[in-house]
Amino acid sequence: MCLFLAALTAAVLAFTSACVAKPRQYSLKGQVMDISMTGELIVKHDDIPGFMPAMTMPYKPRDPGVSQQVRPGDLIAANLMVAKNGNYWLEDVRITDQSGRTAARSAVVTHTLRVGERAPDLPLINQDGKTIHLSDFRGKALLITFIYTRCPMPAFCPRLSSQFAKIHEHLAKTPADCDKTHLLTISFDPKYDTAPVLRRYGLAYLDNDASGFSHWDFASTNAADLRKLAEAFGLTYIEEDNQISHSMDIVLLTPDGLVAQYWPTAWTATELEEALRQEARSASVATAKAAGMKR
Amino acid sequence: MSDGFGRACLACCLTAASFHLTGCSQIGLGRGAAEQRGEILFDRHCADCHDESNLDLKKQPPKLKGLFRSKLLPSGSPATDEQVRNTIINGRGTMPAFDQRLREQDVDDLVTYLHTLR
Repeated sequence: MCLFLAALTAAVLAFTSACVAKPRQYSLKGQVMDISMTGELIVKHDDIPGFMPAMTMPYKPRDPGVSQQVRPGDLIAANLMVAKNGNYWLEDVRITDQSGRTAARSAVVTHTLRVGERAPDLPLINQDGKTIHLSDFRGKALLITFIYTRCPMPAFCPRLSSQFAKIHEHLAKTPADCDKTHLLTISFDPKYDTAPVLRRYGLAYLDNDASGFSHWDFASTNAADLRKLAEAFGLTYIEEDNQISHSMDIVLLTPDGLVAQYWPTAWTATELEEALRQEARSASVATAKAAGMKR
Repeated sequence: MSDGFGRACLACCLTAASFHLTGCSQIGLGRGAAEQRGEILFDRHCADCHDESNLDLKKQPPKLKGLFRSKLLPSGSPATDEQVRNTIINGRGTMPAFDQRLREQDVDDLVTYLHTLR
């Protein structure tokens, strides 16, 4: 009897853990507005019961071949998979109607900076109300992400900022890497995310330690420059009813201000941190070599 | 794991779910409109954080059952309607502000519903 109970308990535990590890699945229906350079489908979708209201969002299909078959304007149905760590993707993408192929309005930019191209040096206002430029961070590897402080969905902006906080905390423990790196969070919501709002938001992720701003800036810009930044980095964002649907891109710039790498949706804090450290270290090695050659 | 065991678990879950739903609808019969609207708003705007566990976030949002039964909110502020309204509208710590996204009536309905969580 005891053996039977133990086996039953083990089976229940195995079943429970299998359920926990499995990504959640939701049914998604919508229209493809565009397809990003990295193969994400920008989908204007209906309500996803139990997950999110209707909005326009980028989704990466698990099968990369889907991006070749689907065209802007297509109506699609798919399974939206959401992992416990917040990563999400589409599976089983079916085109349900192709008749609107020419009717869809382009929702994304036409030119995105490629790796190795220089990022634009647009003015931003940081959490202290000070004007900063991306060029202020030359000499440091710069990791940039985009959020808005009123984002209520835990798998999106709050998760991005939480992961950046983790990276900041780790880097702060190794001053050599900390000095050669910087984090920058830029808001999609310049009207609401003023300097005081960004400062309060930043402090919440810095454990109320304002000295952390020397390694992590929170900034916004005017609507026109935000559009230019979005074009440069291939971001999508649409404001609807005080809620902003946007892509979750992360960009790494070299210490020379060139695009080093993009992460559209699937990433981990460890992966980002490692790439940031590597970029900072490889630049230091290159500088040392150049200095040696001059001598 | 056998299919039979999986089906048995599923049957248990469905039974539990139907019991839960039946219970909810019975309770719902006697509830005020504000409370019912508040519950819908809660499910839409709050449950993703406050009803979930182990979120991939810097700080885990507190559960809100019994919020008004304690003298203090999880933040340590007094558990008053005014303080909760202020937290919803302006946010607090890593909690986002719902300023301009909820109407005053929505906030009132949410507070009414939060009073019923035990």
